[in-house]
Amino acid sequence: MNAPFYKFGLFGMDISLVVAFIIGIGFGFALERGGFGNARILAAQFYFTNMRVLKVMFTAIVTAMLGVFYLSLIGWVDLSLVYVSETYLVPQIVGGLILGFGFIIGGYCPGTSFVSFATGRKDGLVFILGVVFGTFVIGELFPYITDFYYSSAMGKITLPDVFGVSYGMVVFAVVVMALGAFAAAEWGEKVMAKKNAGK
Amino acid sequence: MKDKIMQLSGPKKLAVVAFAFGFIAMFAGNPYDNTFTNVNTKEIALSSMNDADKISVSDLADWIIKAKADYKLVDLRSQEKFEEYFIPSAYNVLPVDLSTSGLMRNDKILLYGDDNVISAQAWFLLKSRGYKGVYILDGGINAWKDQILFPKLIADATPEQTIEFNKMKEVSLYFGGAPQENSEQVNKAEIKMPELKAPVQTNLTTAPKKKKREGC
Amino acid sequence: MTILTETLKNEKTAEKTTHIVVEKPYSNPYYTGFGLGLVLLAAFVIMGRGLGASGAISTVTAVTVNAVAPEHAQSNEFFRGYIGDGTTNPLKDWLVFEIIGVLVGGFISGALAGRNKITVEKGPRVSTRTRFIYAFVGGSLMGIGAKIARGCTSGQALTGGALLNVGSWAFMLAVFAGGYAVAYFVRRQWI
Repeated sequence: MNAPFYKFGLFGMDISLVVAFIIGIGFGFALERGGFGNARILAAQFYFTNMRVLKVMFTAIVTAMLGVFYLSLIGWVDLSLVYVSETYLVPQIVGGLILGFGFIIGGYCPGTSFVSFATGRKDGLVFILGVVFGTFVIGELFPYITDFYYSSAMGKITLPDVFGVSYGMVVFAVVVMALGAFAAAEWGEKVMAKKNAGK
Repeated sequence: MKDKIMQLSGPKKLAVVAFAFGFIAMFAGNPYDNTFTNVNTKEIALSSMNDADKISVSDLADWIIKAKADYKLVDLRSQEKFEEYFIPSAYNVLPVDLSTSGLMRNDKILLYGDDNVISAQAWFLLKSRGYKGVYILDGGINAWKDQILFPKLIADATPEQTIEFNKMKEVSLYFGGAPQENSEQVNKAEIKMPELKAPVQTNLTTAPKKKKREGC
Repeated sequence: MTILTETLKNEKTAEKTTHIVVEKPYSNPYYTGFGLGLVLLAAFVIMGRGLGASGAISTVTAVTVNAVAPEHAQSNEFFRGYIGDGTTNPLKDWLVFEIIGVLVGGFISGALAGRNKITVEKGPRVSTRTRFIYAFVGGSLMGIGAKIARGCTSGQALTGGALLNVGSWAFMLAVFAGGYAVAYFVRRQWI
């Protein structure tokens, strides 16, 4: 098997758009199932009352991480052909913080806002318009922040490179961390439920 | 043990499986190395017998003139020979560096050496490492010299051969060669290789055309 | 499955309709995450890339700017990057089609579970107007942050997270840090 199929020319640009549509359906379906079309559930993550965001996200990361790791090991997937975006550490941390503010203020992230809109949430639509506006603003400001935008460039770099350990070690560490986070989340939800019930 | 796992709830079973796979991962090797790549040796042996993986020098000349950019031309000769002369757009990669040179498994790779020997070896090496589109330049740089740079018009040429030669003459001049109309007079040693016009390209990973955005 | 008798208040007509809504609870988060992980894995295997969302919005925004003020858009490196060189329609983009799929997939899932309804998600203590202002402001911040960070929760946190990308993990921690830092100040909106 030669994967990624697209990179080995198994199909062209037009088919890839059909693939995009189908994968999008799966993506949207999974997000809605998880409750991510609902801003109150997403926001609850930040008040420790419902830790779904963490649970769904880290389960997905662990699943895909293990999947791509083992498929590469047996030679089905050429991992060097799977796109890894370049790291620009400081802009990504600053961007992440701003995005975190936006997340709790607005109640969604871009992907989930589309699901909320598709399921009839008007606040989801307003949020999407906000993202469009924000993108426009940053586009207009771009000439002034270009230097910052390209600062602290580290190229294509992965955690194993940084810590100087094997890829598999980091995989195991992520799995352990995720399982620990799940246990903590389950415990935290129970504590919060008791606290709220006692009010 | 088994019973205990069976009694767990669904998500906890998932957790056990994830933990097990994560634990094994520590000893499993580097996924970027394709540690257990399976090679279909029979398929490779069969494909080595036909000429489908050979590209003629005139085809390559045609590609270069038309500025085709969907392939990577790899010069396998020593650095000294490479610096003396290389076919335009070629990268110099020594056979020992092939797997670390930044060539991707989905690249269309065209190999050449002095003749077919070294490129055939490199062809096997790359094929066995899972590279898909690997081709060799038939006859290597010797054929390139004979047919492209210094084509000869044989003494008793038929009209067709003359027409063919006139076509090749233009191609030859394009590459800075010297067509030989009167072959007897020429001594091979006197033929001067064309001057290199393009700068030497060594970095395979950054040089190729900019790719389409793939990020978010 | 719970059967709720719900009173839906249509805000425009102030008309009260009472009907029975069969609304299923959301799925188990771990199973959902597993499914989402498989979708992401499929994207890796089939396409050699991950999921995304904000990129589609950027493309649409850039195309709009280009339609209104072409010269202005072309003079801006950021917009130009999304419009391309004019040889192909910029809307024929992988992420744009993926997001169309997300809309369809979200709708199908919501319809199957009886969760599709025209409503506004907010806490009981804020008005719809306030909620909309928060949503717009939050969305704007999200647009700004996603561009500086080169991706959003889907493109960076999820995709890059699974590929152990350094920038993505730094980004992910920053998102949670940012969210928790501000959560206290906007709690009225949600609880």
